[in-house]
Amino acid sequence: MRVTDRLIFNNAIVNAGRARERDLAATQEVSTGLKVTHPGDDPAAAGLIAGYRVAISQADSVMKTVQRASDETISADGALDGVGSVLSRARELAVQLSNSTYSAEQRAAAANEVDGLFREALGQLNSHVGNRYLFGGFADSVPPFDATGAYLGDTGVRQVEVAPGVLQASSIRADVAIKGVNGGVDVLSTLTALSAALTANNVAGVQATLTGLDTGIAQVASARSSLGSSMSLFDAAGEAARAHRDTQTANLSHLADSDPIEANSRLALAERALDASLTAAAASFKLTMLGKL
Amino acid sequence: MADLLSLLQQAASSLNAHRADAATASNNLSNVNTPGYARQRAELEALSPADRVGGTVIGRGVGVLTVSQARDRFLESQIPASLGQSARSSAQSAALESVTALNPDGGAGLSAAFGEFYGSLQQLSQNPGDLGLRQAAVSASQGLTLAFNRAGQALASARTGIDANITGSVDEINSVATKMASLNKQIAIERASGGQPNDLLDARLKAQDRLATLTGAVPIPDAQGNIGMALPGGAALVSGDRSATLSTIPDAANRGHLAIQFTGASGAGPVTAPAKSFGGSLGGMLDARDGALATAERGLDTLAFDFATSVNTVHSAGFGMDGTGGRDLFTVTATPVGAAMSLEVGPVVLGDPRLFAAASTASAPSGDASNLLAIMGTQQQALSSGANATTALSSLISQFGAASSGARSASETDGAINDQLQQLRESASGVSIDEEMVRMTAAQRAFEAVTKVVKTADDMLQTLLSMK
Repeated sequence: MRVTDRLIFNNAIVNAGRARERDLAATQEVSTGLKVTHPGDDPAAAGLIAGYRVAISQADSVMKTVQRASDETISADGALDGVGSVLSRARELAVQLSNSTYSAEQRAAAANEVDGLFREALGQLNSHVGNRYLFGGFADSVPPFDATGAYLGDTGVRQVEVAPGVLQASSIRADVAIKGVNGGVDVLSTLTALSAALTANNVAGVQATLTGLDTGIAQVASARSSLGSSMSLFDAAGEAARAHRDTQTANLSHLADSDPIEANSRLALAERALDASLTAAAASFKLTMLGKL
Repeated sequence: MADLLSLLQQAASSLNAHRADAATASNNLSNVNTPGYARQRAELEALSPADRVGGTVIGRGVGVLTVSQARDRFLESQIPASLGQSARSSAQSAALESVTALNPDGGAGLSAAFGEFYGSLQQLSQNPGDLGLRQAAVSASQGLTLAFNRAGQALASARTGIDANITGSVDEINSVATKMASLNKQIAIERASGGQPNDLLDARLKAQDRLATLTGAVPIPDAQGNIGMALPGGAALVSGDRSATLSTIPDAANRGHLAIQFTGASGAGPVTAPAKSFGGSLGGMLDARDGALATAERGLDTLAFDFATSVNTVHSAGFGMDGTGGRDLFTVTATPVGAAMSLEVGPVVLGDPRLFAAASTASAPSGDASNLLAIMGTQQQALSSGANATTALSSLISQFGAASSGARSASETDGAINDQLQQLRESASGVSIDEEMVRMTAAQRAFEAVTKVVKTADDMLQTLLSMK
């Protein structure tokens, strides 16, 4: 091949340019830590990366959401635990004061305690997290029970999406668990009835509340069981979301992030190639007949 | 006496030939870095014998037959197509590489915004009465619309930027085509007078290369020695001493982007030329603008339109905390055209997050998230493309990436082929300083030798004149 001076210079420009381009690409990869910065770098990976980013963001949201829902169900469970204790104490009093050996004064004193238990139950059932009442169903902005024990909430059961398209209840129906809708007993009315029977020194009346108290305790226990299931599921969903996020993050990193060792090796190689290219070009410039004649 | 004088005459013509040889080498050296210049050679030829001495004849020295150019016709025939193809893929690749709207990196990209949007809805669904979460959901909605706006604007700007380049390119094409037609004419005149217009040929070849680079046109020689240029669609851009004219006109069917009109060398037209009529950098720009970029822009608009419409359909079926329904979450265009660029959160919901329609009934209390859960369901809903929003976005990015990657790969391949051909051209036609220095030294030596002949002839004449 006939070699001209411009060929030498053009080659130097082209080869050094290519070496510099590779050097720049390697430098960018090392400095950004990314190997896919443009869809054209790896089209399939770029599309997957977009999907992974959405999935990671959603997994984060699921974790936050189920954590909040779990916090609320824990609070609701604590409140129902308190109501259960109230009912147990009321049952103890009912059993104790069904005995004919107790006097009217003693039953009146017990009635005062039952009234206190009623108020305590109301307080538990009007629990709230932040400004949100736990037992009102969808009507969560006002106390769900008034001072007489009437239910002011609705029949809604709040739900949380724990996975795409998968919903889990995050509340219980207080109208069922407390007020006995659908065939149960009205727990608060039972307490009121117990108080009235004690005040009236009506032993038979006191005995009559025992069945209601037993059923009420079972209702509350059942509601707690539902909440417990939800709590367990929220925990599992949180863990699943965390695992999913970690998996997606690893996948994303695998596709998008550069391997530091490989990237630095490529950079060192590119720098060496550039140096060699420049050295060879400079050497080729020196040999000319101009200095010989 | 007459023979000695002819010796001097012979020396004079030889001196002239060697001076021309040296001058040609000098010209080559001067143009060693001139683009498009092909090295020239003074073709020396022994002059026909005139003196007969005894039974033989003696030559009359040397003269310059012609000054030729070093061109490899085989190589030259391959270069225009190579230039056009290389410029086409390079222009397309550069245009696609410059678009960053669909880059997969994090931050304010569309994928992150989609994640934020549905994530905020999910958090709100847990406590729809919480005004802070409502505000976060509206902000995330706005973030998503802004991400669509940015991406749509970037794609539209890229296409508009190409229009600006096309305008500049068309001006240059017209100028170079006119110049080439003029050179055809000048070369014909020069040849008619018996000259060899090497410099004009160089200039014409340079114009030919430029037109091939700009339009993908290929040279068509005719019997008169003219070089015409035919566009890939077959239309004559240069024909003899006349040239066609290109112009641009906004194309309403292509969102107002520029179409190219062609007015023939005969003056016929103008007619709108299809994009396939052009190659070279002009064709590459049209490929990028009306190919991958247009596809991405349409895809993004369709995604924005379908997504907003599906969310609006569900949102308007629900009710805000004021008990009013029928409101859209997003304000979107009536058709997909321009949807991404103009998408925004409806002013009513934007101004009051309580009006975000989370509830499914007008009288629903604040904790009802039934409609919100339905809105979240749109994430899995198939859009007009058959895929859900996230998958459609991934597909859009991959499709654009594949086009960009293909153009990049083609550009590298075509560039390497063109580099190789340019090297071979330089090897065949370029100037070597070493060669020219040697040639000049050789001419100098010959010149010196002939001057000795002159001196010798002069001495001989003196001897003859001093005989009496």
